[in-house]
Amino acid sequence: MIKTMNLHKSFGDLEVLKGIDIDINPGEVVVLVGVSGSGKSTLLRCLNFLEKAQEGDILIDGRKVDRKKEDLSKVRAEVGMVFQHFNLFPHKTVLENIMEAPLIVKKEDKEKAKKLSLALLGKVGLSDKADVYPNKLSGGQKQRVAIARALAMEPKALLFDEPTSALDPELVGEVLQVMQDLANDGMTMVVVTHEMKFAKEVADRIIMLDEGRIIEDADPETFFNHSTNERTRQFLEMVNV
Amino acid sequence: MPDILLTLSEVFMRTYEGFLKAALVTLKITAIAIVLGTVFGIVFALMKISRSKILQTIANLYITLIRGTPLIVQIMFLYYGITSIVVLSNFWAGAIALGVHNGAYIAEVFRGAIQGVDRGQREASLALGMNRSQAMRRIIFPQALRRAIPPLGNQFIITLKDSSLVYVIGVTELFGLANREAASSFLPFETFLVVGMYYLVLVLIFTGLLKLYENKLNVDKS
Ligand SMILES: Nc1ncnc2c1ncn2[C@@H]1O[C@H](COP(=O)(O)OP(=O)(O)OP(=O)(O)O)[C@@H](O)[C@H]1O
Ligand SMILES: [Mg+2]
Repeated sequence: MIKTMNLHKSFGDLEVLKGIDIDINPGEVVVLVGVSGSGKSTLLRCLNFLEKAQEGDILIDGRKVDRKKEDLSKVRAEVGMVFQHFNLFPHKTVLENIMEAPLIVKKEDKEKAKKLSLALLGKVGLSDKADVYPNKLSGGQKQRVAIARALAMEPKALLFDEPTSALDPELVGEVLQVMQDLANDGMTMVVVTHEMKFAKEVADRIIMLDEGRIIEDADPETFFNHSTNERTRQFLEMVNV
Repeated sequence: MPDILLTLSEVFMRTYEGFLKAALVTLKITAIAIVLGTVFGIVFALMKISRSKILQTIANLYITLIRGTPLIVQIMFLYYGITSIVVLSNFWAGAIALGVHNGAYIAEVFRGAIQGVDRGQREASLALGMNRSQAMRRIIFPQALRRAIPPLGNQFIITLKDSSLVYVIGVTELFGLANREAASSFLPFETFLVVGMYYLVLVLIFTGLLKLYENKLNVDKS
């Protein structure tokens, strides 16, 4: 579904990704972990071309994306993203937030877009919030709307960059629940998170980044209980599981 | 009644018909200049934040030239410049000059407002598959416009007052008329006091309308 080969990314002199090879299968849930600054966000942002890697290839659905020549907005429409700070459009209602991309990007007709958006809103449990503005929502509700907004483009995969890090602790659960439902529906997901419980229970694979390299790529059982990697064990102690 | 008040009311009664007409000219020039200036401002702001070096350079040149020279010089320059190419009334020459002048300041207002919109808004738009221009039109610009309204309001008030300078090319707006009245009546002090009050009233009306509009926007948003 998403495959990278020898991906390199630098900001000026700082090399942040030093040759990343990952291969994410359809329907897989991959949790990406690593200490702050290890390059998790950068990797995620490279996967939907918000950042352009300088070297290496990215294949979406087996097709190599030419970063220089292609219309990247078409590629981005296929891989959705959910942000730490939600980034809802404050001047649009919840429903308008979700309808925006189908209407503008896919040029769907209004009735169809509305129907789809309302269905997605139901799916994240916020049918009653269709006509309110984002500033009237709690953080957890905002993030659920953001997930519905990303789903409205019917993406092949969804990327999550610390989707619960900006939330009050009591609101984390409702967002993780929505993500778990998505995973059960077979959505392909790459998730950067510090929620180790989610990683244990929902992830098919856990990938650990360290200083721009993948140092571990294993199923949760192996990762949490049988890792022989020194850095991984240090990390697990730090997040104390 | 003290003498000064007596003369003032005399001047006022004698001139109000003319001044009301002149106030209309002032308002028309201001309105045209605001519309033109806003259009120029948006275009040059977009040029300035574009990725094209050429567009950036043109925008910077325009802004530097306008901000680096006096308005009165620009009015004269444009008046003689334009009217040597096309036939144009001094009213329109003045309005255009004022519009071009304002465009440079309004461009900076919009540039600041656009760059002040949270980066995350653009990223979320792109991540949904929008291209750059869709993201600008649908998501970033509408938010920038809200941020721009208070400084734009200020700029519009400055425009209203600056419109007095087009008297130099012979437009009979408020200040132009006051100049003539002052000379012919030999009452410069009273005349300029009266015309100052006309400007003050117009500015206060403008300010009030802007406040109303801002409040309406704030109510809508919540
Ligand atoms: N746009 C940028 N310009 C310059 N440096 C950047 C930029 N984005 C990230 N970096 C740097 O790249 C490195 C990796 O950043 P990244 O955000 O990918 O880390 P992360 O693993 O997501 O960390 P965190 O857990 O804190 O979010 C950091 O040193 C960061 O300062
Ligand atoms: Mg990060």
